[in-house]
Amino acid sequence: MAHWAIDYLMAWGLVIAVVWGAAAWAGSDAGWSGMPGWLADRLWWPPIAITALGLLVSAVAPVWRYRVHRWEISADVVYTRTGWFSREWLLVPVGRIQTVDTGQGPLERLLGLATLEINTASHAGSSLVAGLPVDLATRLAEQLAHRAHTLGDDAT
Amino acid sequence: MTGRAIRLHPLTILVGAIRELIALLVAGAAGLAVGGLSTAFYFTLLGLGFGLVLHLVKWATFTYTVHDNRIELRRALIGRSVKIIPRERVRGVDISSTLPHRLLGLAVVHVDAGSDGGDGTLNAVSRQEADRLRRVLLSHVAEMRRTPADDTELARASPRWNLYAPLGGTYLLTPFAVAGSVLGTLYNLGDEFGFIDERRLSHLGRDVLGLPVTVGVVVALLFLVAMPIGSVIAFALFNWDFSLRARGEELIAERGLLTRRTVSLERRRIRGVELIDNPLERLAGAARLGALVTGLGDAAQRGRLLPTAPVTISRDVAARVVGTVPGPLVTHPPAALRRRVVRAIIPPLAFTVIALLAGRPWAACAGLVLMILAVPLGADRYHQLGHALDRDRLTVRSGALRRRQAVVERRAVVGWRLRQTLFQRRLGLATLVVAVGAGEGGYPAIDMAEQDAVAFAEEVTPAWVRPFLNS
Repeated sequence: MAHWAIDYLMAWGLVIAVVWGAAAWAGSDAGWSGMPGWLADRLWWPPIAITALGLLVSAVAPVWRYRVHRWEISADVVYTRTGWFSREWLLVPVGRIQTVDTGQGPLERLLGLATLEINTASHAGSSLVAGLPVDLATRLAEQLAHRAHTLGDDAT
Repeated sequence: MTGRAIRLHPLTILVGAIRELIALLVAGAAGLAVGGLSTAFYFTLLGLGFGLVLHLVKWATFTYTVHDNRIELRRALIGRSVKIIPRERVRGVDISSTLPHRLLGLAVVHVDAGSDGGDGTLNAVSRQEADRLRRVLLSHVAEMRRTPADDTELARASPRWNLYAPLGGTYLLTPFAVAGSVLGTLYNLGDEFGFIDERRLSHLGRDVLGLPVTVGVVVALLFLVAMPIGSVIAFALFNWDFSLRARGEELIAERGLLTRRTVSLERRRIRGVELIDNPLERLAGAARLGALVTGLGDAAQRGRLLPTAPVTISRDVAARVVGTVPGPLVTHPPAALRRRVVRAIIPPLAFTVIALLAGRPWAACAGLVLMILAVPLGADRYHQLGHALDRDRLTVRSGALRRRQAVVERRAVVGWRLRQTLFQRRLGLATLVVAVGAGEGGYPAIDMAEQDAVAFAEEVTPAWVRPFLNS
């Protein structure tokens, strides 16, 4: 959850900075001279609205996503649920797995987390389990790869 | 199988040289303009000599070896490189030949081995060698050895099908492409010869602008006439005498007028088919047919089983390739109709609102017209939605301007993805994506009723879905 929160803050921080910068440029003398009057009068409205929206999303989304995100690995199926505004359920049978990856971004390393990536022959059937503790992710990856191998046929 | 290293056909050098020669003639002409006859002559001769040597060295340093379990392509020109393709991974062998190749009895063999740059090209070998390679490389299919390899023709294009070309859209642009390239060539040639300078260009510009309106109208009309005719010609060039044959465990599609293309597909790698059409083709009762093949690059071109053909024939061939298309399609709930129409209206609506806010009534009117047009489009999108299921296959259909119906074998499903936005949740709808390791990877059944989507997935693969139904 902390990882997502930082992610959102960073992305939205960038957007907010760009919007304020653009508004400041448009308002300055060197800026957009052909700006319609109705916009010039309310120049600071869009940046303020976007900042508010950004903060709100950054506060709500990580918590919401964390509560929605579920994963479960049964005897032969990997099941994940992700999303916050829209939801996505994904079922991938172990027998159809082609590769299993674990990955760690710089932020994830700081927080001691890892992302498990399960790939099938179809990109539509490839799932991600984000924010697992590192040792759990590596153990799962090994188990899955082993089971996929023993069950394996061409897997397409 | 022997591990003998084989060279490409010696005449390959000639093909390469011919191609070079054409380019050199142009360059030579340029030399003629710049520095007189002798310069041009030496220039061309030098280039030709260099090209010939290069092709000779390339030919001499390239060998391929067919082993029991793999095929090796060895290149030793400057750097050495060996490409090894395990024969088990060979998904298809594609033979094509351009006009010079055909005159010399040569063919280019393209070995397709799944993904990630795993393809090998042999440019070029003799026609017989190409056929032998195809036989040998695809012989790892055990069934093929057992069944005698006799051809049965599944479909052959009738010349009348070429008339479907203007419906397809893409071919309609051919006259523009031709006109563009002719003008470009003329300009380049003129430039080389020094015919074109600033003054002439501006003169030309003024002349064109000064032309009477009638000339413009005539040119436009000419293009209007040329578009369907050009499209038929282009279509015929690509799809001339299209034939689809079944030989043992292979499907062989052959087409083309000048460049004849042969594509072999292994039957056991075919996971399904897709039928594609657009509104015009639908009116004319025509559809294109493609195969969903695992690990086939450039699937849209190479997986083509039929060019635009009468829909009854497309369906018949589909049935003979994978089995009957399940049907009739189950329509999606009425809430899906609402969602389709609303989604079609939103972009023009936003446009209208912005235009109004910005004080542009004309743009707002245009937006309004677009909004009205969007309603039937959305409704049509809804009417094209559908899904069906039988004992071995499932099918989903979506899209309006480019409608696509995918027919997928049950055993080919590699996963399920169920997606629900906030709005879909309120309407009780969900989009179910069938993940398939072939074709485009996933085929969506858009806006099914929630419980239908789950039931559909459960019906196809009960063992995977049932354990999660309660959780």
